[in-house]
Amino acid sequence: MSFDLNFAFATLPTILSALSTTMWVSIVSSLGAAVLGFLWEVLRRTSTPLGWVMQVMIDFIRSTPLLVQIYTLYFVFPYYGVTLPALAVGIIALSVYYSGYLAEVFKAGIDAIDSGQFDAAKALGIGRIATIFLIVAPQMLRNIAAPMGNYFISLLKATPYLAVIAVPEMFGSALDVASDTFRYAEPMLAAGLIFLLLSVSIAQLVKLLEQRLLATDKR
Amino acid sequence: MSQIEIIQNIFQGFGVTAAVTILGLIYAIPFALVAGVLQYVLLGLPRTLVTAVIEFWRSSPVIVLLFVFYYSLPAFGIRLSSTTVAAMVLGLNIGGYGSQAVRAALQALPRGQVEAGLALGLKRWTVLGCIELPQAIRSMIPTFINQLIQLIKGTALISLIALTDMTYRAKELAQIEYNPVGIYSGLLLAYLALCYPVTIFGRRLERRSSFRGSQREL
Repeated sequence: MSFDLNFAFATLPTILSALSTTMWVSIVSSLGAAVLGFLWEVLRRTSTPLGWVMQVMIDFIRSTPLLVQIYTLYFVFPYYGVTLPALAVGIIALSVYYSGYLAEVFKAGIDAIDSGQFDAAKALGIGRIATIFLIVAPQMLRNIAAPMGNYFISLLKATPYLAVIAVPEMFGSALDVASDTFRYAEPMLAAGLIFLLLSVSIAQLVKLLEQRLLATDKR
Repeated sequence: MSQIEIIQNIFQGFGVTAAVTILGLIYAIPFALVAGVLQYVLLGLPRTLVTAVIEFWRSSPVIVLLFVFYYSLPAFGIRLSSTTVAAMVLGLNIGGYGSQAVRAALQALPRGQVEAGLALGLKRWTVLGCIELPQAIRSMIPTFINQLIQLIKGTALISLIALTDMTYRAKELAQIEYNPVGIYSGLLLAYLALCYPVTIFGRRLERRSSFRGSQREL
């Protein structure tokens, strides 16, 4: 069987029709990962015993493969009578997996904030919650825009994992084309190129954003 | 089947997981060093070409790369075993990430190191090999350890191209009996047992190489 360029082009519309699923799954999961990651990091800092528990949990998330986490969530939920659609399981799995990494990023971002900021907030009588959201979070986000952006790109590149639980994203639809036609080379290559283009162009965006943030820093 | 039997069954795939990890490193480490150094040393068009190769391996999703190489190479007349394809794809993907650590570590050295070497009449490659790299490698090691963990975790993917690693064994068990909680918690534990010691080791190295202030409580 040889490579058929025309067939490769013919698979493009089918694969691209799933682009929107890939995109919105990555955006929702990125938000979920950021919210969970920030929660883990805030909890990790509240008290020493809870800090240890959170540390172990974050390490657990980071030390096991995403594929295995997806299988676990997908097959264990129904065992306890909770049947979620594959798409929901996929979004939960991606959010949880990347929350472990983002918690570490947030940790570095918070450590980089000048300690005077915390003292000043305390001296001004600003409450704990207000300090977290109005003083720590905005400064932290500026510190970590670049690494956070990189993890969002990484998450986008992890969406093809969801094909194993039959979520209709781009890679899954490429696999569908492949199993319908018994030609794997063309759809796989087409999907690969689309993902490559996507992640390279988003990486450029993140770089631009980083430069703008650094520029405001210098002022 | 008891939990212990399940874990024993899963660990029958340990050999394949370990083999692909080690073969992957054989691709990853040389690729990371060579590509990182070239990206640092070269200028102009050659540098763009090196960057393009790195970006290809780093920016494509590894699962897609795995399928592309597994299914597309035969269409171009290249037949490789699944183990070779798996080790090559996982290794070069991780190597692409590693190359950025190499480049960043080299760029972080003070310019004076190179200038002093050149002023003493050393060749550019001697300066690189004897002055810059030995210093830079120390700061790369924590990143390399992290990448090693990513590689071990990445090997779970090879179950999708029918290599009988730990994940494959677990999926096999899941077809024989309905015990998702036992099987998948066993599989999670198996990977945790492999990766967690590496995480702890890496954290120790990182602590030794850089002083960290005490953590601020919120």
